[in-house]
Amino acid sequence: MDNAQIERYFLNIVNNDNNMSYGIAAIKTLLMVLEKTTFVTIQELINTIKSAIKVIKESGKPITSISSSCELFMCFITISSPKIDEMYDMEEVKKIMTNRGQSFLRKLLASREVIAKNSVDFITDGCRILTIGRSRVVYEALKLAASKNKHFRVYVTMSMSSFKNENEGEMMVQDLKQLNIDASLVLDAAIGYTMESIDFVFSGAEGVMENGGIINRIGTFTAALCASEMNKPFYVLTESFKFSRIYPLNQRDIPSTYKFIQNRNGEKANIHPLVDFTPPLFITLIFTDLGILTPSAVSDELIKLY
Amino acid sequence: MVESNVYFTASLASLIHDIKVGKIVGSYSISQAMLNHFLSTLNESQWSTADELMTIVRETGRICENALPTEAILGNIVRRMLKIIREEYDELNMPQEQIKQTDDSQAASLQKLVTQNSEKSVEKSDYKALYTDLRENLITHLTEIENELHLSHDNLAQQASQHVHSAELILTLGYSKSVEKFLKSVPKERKFEVVIAECAPACRGHLLATSLASSKIDSTIIPDSAIYGYMNRVNKVILGTHSVLANGGLRAASGAFTVALAAKHFSVPVIVLVPMFKMSPVFLFNYEQEAFNLVGSTQSVLPYNTPVSQQVKAYSPAFDYVPPKLITLFISSAGGFTPDYVYRLLAEMYHPDDYNLTK
Repeated sequence: MDNAQIERYFLNIVNNDNNMSYGIAAIKTLLMVLEKTTFVTIQELINTIKSAIKVIKESGKPITSISSSCELFMCFITISSPKIDEMYDMEEVKKIMTNRGQSFLRKLLASREVIAKNSVDFITDGCRILTIGRSRVVYEALKLAASKNKHFRVYVTMSMSSFKNENEGEMMVQDLKQLNIDASLVLDAAIGYTMESIDFVFSGAEGVMENGGIINRIGTFTAALCASEMNKPFYVLTESFKFSRIYPLNQRDIPSTYKFIQNRNGEKANIHPLVDFTPPLFITLIFTDLGILTPSAVSDELIKLY
Repeated sequence: MVESNVYFTASLASLIHDIKVGKIVGSYSISQAMLNHFLSTLNESQWSTADELMTIVRETGRICENALPTEAILGNIVRRMLKIIREEYDELNMPQEQIKQTDDSQAASLQKLVTQNSEKSVEKSDYKALYTDLRENLITHLTEIENELHLSHDNLAQQASQHVHSAELILTLGYSKSVEKFLKSVPKERKFEVVIAECAPACRGHLLATSLASSKIDSTIIPDSAIYGYMNRVNKVILGTHSVLANGGLRAASGAFTVALAAKHFSVPVIVLVPMFKMSPVFLFNYEQEAFNLVGSTQSVLPYNTPVSQQVKAYSPAFDYVPPKLITLFISSAGGFTPDYVYRLLAEMYHPDDYNLTK
């Protein structure tokens, strides 16, 4: 498979399904690559996958969640099980890996429902929620709460960034209004103003760091800082494949590939960062498909895996 | 709806009744009563497979949680029982070589996500196989747990010498049996003083003061309003609690939040004693939720037979929520740990499928 085909496949998935996370689209692409390559040794397979990952990362989409999900995929390719060690027939190995990959993908696709179920108890009647921009996980959680006939108000920040021209917050408000949820838009500059009139903040995350901090759309750190100062809980809802092994200590530590989109020439297409880092100190709880975790529990989960 | 529930036996009903009317008071007595109830359940022959027994235990837990939402200890014992049953069953179920390979936490983890595939047999067993040894093993294990419970206060108290030193001023709130035993176990050569906030309106702090005085420990009683004023001179705060929540926060006697805030302001370490079964895997959703706070009689706040009481509302909450960032150290029978570590202990004590009994 050549690089252009891989990139086209990936962009196709992303453009066709507005609700699919970039990370999951990357995994689907890699599974397709796995199925279509013929390999004689495992090393050859690993190299093929590695170059495919490189292509996906250079395709011009924000790479935070792509990075962590690809690393997880690499992990499951390289984790050997007694069955695989004994086999010399590559076709058999391929079959096992493809099966594993399919069940892996199925679990990931179901993760949003699990997260919604975990978080629905925290949404009580009459509560006022602030949410940052457009997170599909938060949307699922609010949808589930609304279906249980809970009445609540949602304030959505505009979350203007230089990546897309569309107003993410506006789209989220429209989606929520279609579910008959009381939703209204809030200027990014008005986050401090709104903080006293809300009960808690729901945020998505593009990546979860090893110390329990998160990387999310620019503006999240500001909201977390305000929430902490006003003693409002800051809850993060995210899927487990976004757990990543990087350990930024401040904003400058975030790899620049996460902050700015680079096209193939290496030029930086944007001068404004796309994401910021929220330290674990400002996060109250992280809701994942692995359960409700405190920020300190994240590194434990990562250690178990790696 | 409840009458037709087959799991709502007469013994369970009398247990719940005793707790409700106050015949069985205090976490220790309640735990003991519940463990005895389970011991008799084990001995009865209404169950044959682990699955049936787990259903009985789970339903008992559900009934208790509905009847006494604030007694988290009942739910914790139920969860511990379920974990023991799963452990004993797995030991009998698995061939010897495999036992070493499985990891001890059954929780979903990233690792499981990545390595499980559809061909391998599902790791969650359905607990339906019949084992004759199960009953005996469970009874032995349960008696071990009961022993642990008896010794839990003693184990806590053994650590007193590490934390209380000569010429220290310790502040505590109300009357906690763990704190009482803890302070009495400090070696006699160390002279220290205790300041007890009386914890109105029940003023159980007075009982603690009498008890400590009989052991020749210098104690002073102060009203709750003086807590902030006194905190400047205090070296350590040692508190008991009703239960520990999953995020490391406390559901403690009303007044504990005041103590913790004052301590934070003066950088005084707050130590919380946690005997067995007080750690519960529930989160605080908000303060209004029915299961969090219990409202007590306001007779001691504002007497009913005064003319004022007809025009004014009085409120006497039993519990306070103390957020984890105000707590320095938890001490349990196994040693000390910080609030951040609570999730780890919960994963060891209970199975994640049992965290929510009502669903």
